[in-house]
Amino acid sequence: MTQENYRPILLVEDDPADANLLCRAFEKAKVLNRVIHLSSGDEALAYMAGVKEYADRSVYPLPALILLDLKLPGLTGMQLLQWKRAHENVRRIPLVVLTGDSDPQTVAAAYDLGANSYLVKRAKSSEILTLVKAIDQYWVRLNEAPLLVTGADAGT
Amino acid sequence: MPDGPVLLVEDDPADVRLIQRAFGKLPDVVKVIRLTNGDEAVSYLAGDEPYDNRGTHPMPCVVLLDIKLPRRSGFEVLEWLRRQSTALKRLPVIMLTSSRHSVDINRAYDLGANSYLTKPDTAGQLEELASRFQEYWLSWNELPDLHIGPTAKAPR
Repeated sequence: MTQENYRPILLVEDDPADANLLCRAFEKAKVLNRVIHLSSGDEALAYMAGVKEYADRSVYPLPALILLDLKLPGLTGMQLLQWKRAHENVRRIPLVVLTGDSDPQTVAAAYDLGANSYLVKRAKSSEILTLVKAIDQYWVRLNEAPLLVTGADAGT
Repeated sequence: MPDGPVLLVEDDPADVRLIQRAFGKLPDVVKVIRLTNGDEAVSYLAGDEPYDNRGTHPMPCVVLLDIKLPRRSGFEVLEWLRRQSTALKRLPVIMLTSSRHSVDINRAYDLGANSYLTKPDTAGQLEELASRFQEYWLSWNELPDLHIGPTAKAPR
């Protein structure tokens, strides 16, 4: 495991209540990564592309992990998956779908579009905390993150 | 727990023994099928002889794939799998290798690996890894249904 694992975690979630519960769970679980919350697919695309207010990579570095809701205003999670897969410097960033929908068709489609993993949202705050701990244990502490230090990411 | 077994593609007999022992110590029974080279893995997944009976050679729910393998390498197996036009292409693949080189890590993600794990140094750490792997992939994560036809484009 390297420093790459401790890049920020990008949380793409439009529901303020869900986002709030998740962010609090990340704090409570003492996850070391900074959690950056974005509330629409368009914002997530701007962040990943490093454009508009996210142009400065020293402030908004590429993430170690993306947690993506599928139902989003504007650009949907599925469209974002497709965009991400087509873009060289972000395609290798692990992306975990985190959504309310567990329909097998949706799960299959998300994997087909390149999702690394698929998690279903929990309702109770105690379950959300366990879920966040599982994400931290697996994706931050066990999985090897890709190396993202490139010219495009150096903030130059 | 999912129906299908875990497919372990690993040529080193010592590593296989350690991995199988680690899985054997888990509180839940995880069936592990072991193959020793890349060609066998492709034949098994394609359902070619001698693996054409899915009753005795069931489709796995996830693959644990080493990189350095005789015949076809882990990268070649992964490339072959993601090139399939059937639902087989969405089968989750977790690399399990001794290589910590970022060039290997990045290549694995670029070829569509879902996750990348490195073999730990001690048996105790390997038990920990098996437990985290099982908890995350076979319990938290929603695995894709391989009977649903492939998705070509992002649904709205």
